[in-house]
Amino acid sequence: MTVKIWNFFPREALYECYQCARCTGSCPAIEVAPALGPRETILKCLNLGHDEIVEDERLWVCCTCNVCEDRCPQKIPISDLLVALRNSAARRGNIPDKLEIAIELLAKTGRSMIVHQLDEMRAHHGLAPLLPVPIDEVREILKKTRLDEVVEF
Amino acid sequence: MKQALDDLHKGSNSKDLRIGVYVCHCGKNIGGTVRCEEVAEFAGTLPNVILAKDSLYTCSEPGQEQIKTDIREQKLNRVVVASCTPRLHEPTFRAACESAGLNPYLLEMANIREHCSWVHLHDRDAATDKAKDLVAMAVARAALLEPQFELTVPVKRSAMVIGGGVAGIQAALDMADAGYKVYLVERTGSIGGRMAQIDKTFPTMDCSICILAPKMSEIGRHPNVGLLTLSEVKEVEGHIGNFKVKVLRKARYVTDGCTACGDCIHACPQLAPDEFNAGLSIRHAIYIPFAQAVPSRYAVDMNLCLNNQGIVACDRCFQACTRKCIDFAEQDQILDLEVGTIVVATGVDVYDPTALTELGYGRFPNVITTLEFERLINAGGPSSGELIRPSDRRRPERVAFLQCIGSRSKRSNPYCSNVCCMNTIKDALLIKEHWPETEIFVFYIDIRAFGKGFEDLFQRARREGVTFIRGIPGEIIEDINTGDLTLLGENTLLGSSYRYRMDMVILSVGIRPRSDASVIQRLLNLSTDTDGFYMEAHPKLRPVDTTTGGVFLAGAAEGPKDIKDSVTQASAAASRANILMSRGEVRIPAVTAKINPDKCSACGLCAKICPYHAIEGSKEQGYYRVIEAMCQGCGACVPECKFGALDQAHFTEAQIVSQINQALAHSPERKIIAFACNWCSYAGADFAGVSRIQYPDNVRIIRTMCSARVAPDWIELAFLKGAGAVLVSGCHPSDCHYNNANQNTAKRVEKFWKRMEKLGLNKDRLRLAWVSAAEGTQFAKVIKEMEQGINKLTPLQIEETKQKLAKRPSKKGEPV
Ligand SMILES: Cc1cc2nc3c(=O)[nH]c(=O)nc-3n(C[C@H](O)[C@H](O)[C@H](O)COP(=O)(O)OP(=O)(O)OC[C@H]3O[C@@H](n4cnc5c(N)ncnc54)[C@H](O)[C@@H]3O)c2cc1C
Ligand code: SF4
Ligand code: SF4
Ligand code: SF4
Ligand code: SF4
Repeated sequence: MTVKIWNFFPREALYECYQCARCTGSCPAIEVAPALGPRETILKCLNLGHDEIVEDERLWVCCTCNVCEDRCPQKIPISDLLVALRNSAARRGNIPDKLEIAIELLAKTGRSMIVHQLDEMRAHHGLAPLLPVPIDEVREILKKTRLDEVVEF
Repeated sequence: MKQALDDLHKGSNSKDLRIGVYVCHCGKNIGGTVRCEEVAEFAGTLPNVILAKDSLYTCSEPGQEQIKTDIREQKLNRVVVASCTPRLHEPTFRAACESAGLNPYLLEMANIREHCSWVHLHDRDAATDKAKDLVAMAVARAALLEPQFELTVPVKRSAMVIGGGVAGIQAALDMADAGYKVYLVERTGSIGGRMAQIDKTFPTMDCSICILAPKMSEIGRHPNVGLLTLSEVKEVEGHIGNFKVKVLRKARYVTDGCTACGDCIHACPQLAPDEFNAGLSIRHAIYIPFAQAVPSRYAVDMNLCLNNQGIVACDRCFQACTRKCIDFAEQDQILDLEVGTIVVATGVDVYDPTALTELGYGRFPNVITTLEFERLINAGGPSSGELIRPSDRRRPERVAFLQCIGSRSKRSNPYCSNVCCMNTIKDALLIKEHWPETEIFVFYIDIRAFGKGFEDLFQRARREGVTFIRGIPGEIIEDINTGDLTLLGENTLLGSSYRYRMDMVILSVGIRPRSDASVIQRLLNLSTDTDGFYMEAHPKLRPVDTTTGGVFLAGAAEGPKDIKDSVTQASAAASRANILMSRGEVRIPAVTAKINPDKCSACGLCAKICPYHAIEGSKEQGYYRVIEAMCQGCGACVPECKFGALDQAHFTEAQIVSQINQALAHSPERKIIAFACNWCSYAGADFAGVSRIQYPDNVRIIRTMCSARVAPDWIELAFLKGAGAVLVSGCHPSDCHYNNANQNTAKRVEKFWKRMEKLGLNKDRLRLAWVSAAEGTQFAKVIKEMEQGINKLTPLQIEETKQKLAKRPSKKGEPV
């Protein structure tokens, strides 16, 4: 149930990092929450190994906006690294409760959250109620992405 | 002596060969691994060898004396020395031969140290067997060596310097002072270059133009200097010692009666951004680049002037000029120069940070570059030296510098620009000097203060209160009402985010090769490094030479450097050129190509690929010929000839074929024939030896000057003889020492692969590898991999290869 991070991110790319911090400097998540900036993530992978990082729950604050990658002078595929780390973290049980619940709901109802007001709001805007979701298809997709390895459903 | 040489020449034509072989122990370097006595004894049994000796140090005085004595007393007419790499001692032994009356080209060396004892340290038997093989190959080649006579070409005692920055100025003065005529070709209206634009210079904080101006005026009045401004090199022909150059001198429209009084400028209605002030001010169509310009003369920018249609539509400046120096009839001119040497000093461009949109340069008026700052703070600049910010001309109280902009980045220039750290520190101190209360923040990744006096300056900046923050901002936000700027980023040392409000931001932009550097590169057959700077012939030992004889490099055109290094290099380049000019003649190695006119069918294929345009001829003329003084001896042309009309002196077909045959005389199926170019791959294999990197002993290296000399016929021959594998190796494509001749290598190997594929043969047995002189590890790795391939080979496969390749496609036009 583990994933090899280096299958999804070229390890050598870590050595290209100058620690210039343009990435973290442009990160919107770190503006509002104690995120683990990409620069620090890379430094820790380099100096402490990635095991340290996959235990860190701040890994989940990143909003995968990709702006860090856009700023990086070394063209390091930072978002690939962050996604790979999260995949690994989730399989080791480091996943926020709310996210776990969302996946479970998705598998059971086809929706990641239940908002009762939704139909009212749609009606207010003159929209038809939402159609039921083909749950079997959704579950098939979730399995294909191997999310069932992370959350039981 | 002449008689002796004639005799020798005759000797070589007859079968009367007398070869002497000297096997060197090199102390324990060779002798510790190779049984040298045994090798010498074996050499004595080889055909035409009349004596074979081993000695402790062949390169020592007694060792050389022995060779000389034997040449005289034993009438040796070929000498083989089995020792270290010919890249080290070939000149030594050649000189020994020459002093004993033997043509130096009748020496052959077997490299049994770098290519043998040092790389097979733990197998005495294998190393000894390989040394015997290498000696046998050398003896076979020696038998076919011919005396060669180096051509002496006269060197014209005049020089051209391209580019009139500080480097070009220094080089021109050094050559002119030595008594040679120098043409200094500068593209703009004045010499001075970047240094004239800078306010002060680090690390001494001298006034830049104050120290430069005296040198500029010296150029202007030096009797040996012909200063050509508004001029560009259009054509270069010829070779070391005798270059024929065409220079386009654009019309200035102002005669030399001009006293630079400036009466004309205010009459002129036409305006444009002033490039000298980095576009921060405006100038007129009639202008002088800057106050201290040399020549101190106005010029009309015809692109801007109202008379640019060829008719005089405006004559206001003409009317304003009391001395009547304005002449709209002046024409562009082509000047023909003849020079013996050339110094290239074209300098650098400055990185344009517009592409880094997150920093807002070009959109936010208060974000400027360091070059613009130099002009702003200069007393002769657009604000008369007042530090003001562009949006409201207010003096900024908080200023930020951002380092490494456009440098150390795969998105722009990957290298460090070398001057921007110190330049920023200098700029910060300049602000502190005039307005000490200004708050200054420098955002950096690393501060590189490596030169003499640099660290002192850095410490001074810190003492004076400049704040250094590690971490480049990721974003700059402008307050549209005030023009103030907010910098968002991370302080990596504190591990915390920051948000700074600044009045002004200065981007410490890097320097890069001139955008049109390729023009001069092509005109002079120069190479460029991966960053686009002109490449030196050797990074350590020939740092100002280029691979084109007689052409030298000075200043930042060769790589980012500061003023001091530019001047040092300029003096070095001038000194190298002076050596050539003072001697007045130069010998060129006799490894040129030759065309046999009887066999030449005038197809012209060779001329097409010669990277030096050294082959001339035509169908009408009936044949082609090599211009010896222009041929650099790469040999790329030889395999191109389908009629066998071409050959290369000292690297003849027959000589190389003899080496291949000898190398494959025993157990060919185990052997790797490795063709290696003199400059990179052979040197790389040498480096593997120096580093004692161990690799399989079955490789036999054959040296050519360029990998482009390697003929597909040789590869075929090796396989026909049953070779296990063949390696063709040369310099990395951009590093070729013969102006990218090695693109032919790649083409020919690819063609051979296609042929193997078509015949259903395992094409992995032919390998192409680019190995630089520093890549000993890479060379060893390639050989190890090839060895693994050989281990998998079956005798049947080798036989199949022989048979299939033997059936040569007979029809013309089929791939050979
Ligand atoms: C903003 C900035 C600040 C700097 N501050 C300092 C400092 O404080 N101290 C220091 O030591 N160094 C400093 N430097 C570095 C310094 O500018 C260079 O070391 C120096 O200018 C290099 O001199 P050069 O003659 O090689 O090139 P350049 O100064 O670039 O001169 C090249 C000349 O060649 C001409 N030219 C180019 N192409 C052609 C062509 N094809 N034909 C004819 N002419 C041509 C150009 O017009 C120019 O006149 C600074 C650089 C910059 C960008
Ligand atoms: S922007 Fe790129 S080079 Fe700079 S710290 Fe982030 S990952 Fe490293
Ligand atoms: S002729 Fe040209 S340079 Fe002279 S004033 Fe008119 S526009 Fe200006
Ligand atoms: S000199 Fe300094 S600012 Fe310039 S590229 Fe190098 S490290 Fe960056
Ligand atoms: S291709 Fe090379 S060897 Fe042939 S003429 Fe040109 S420079 Fe000389």
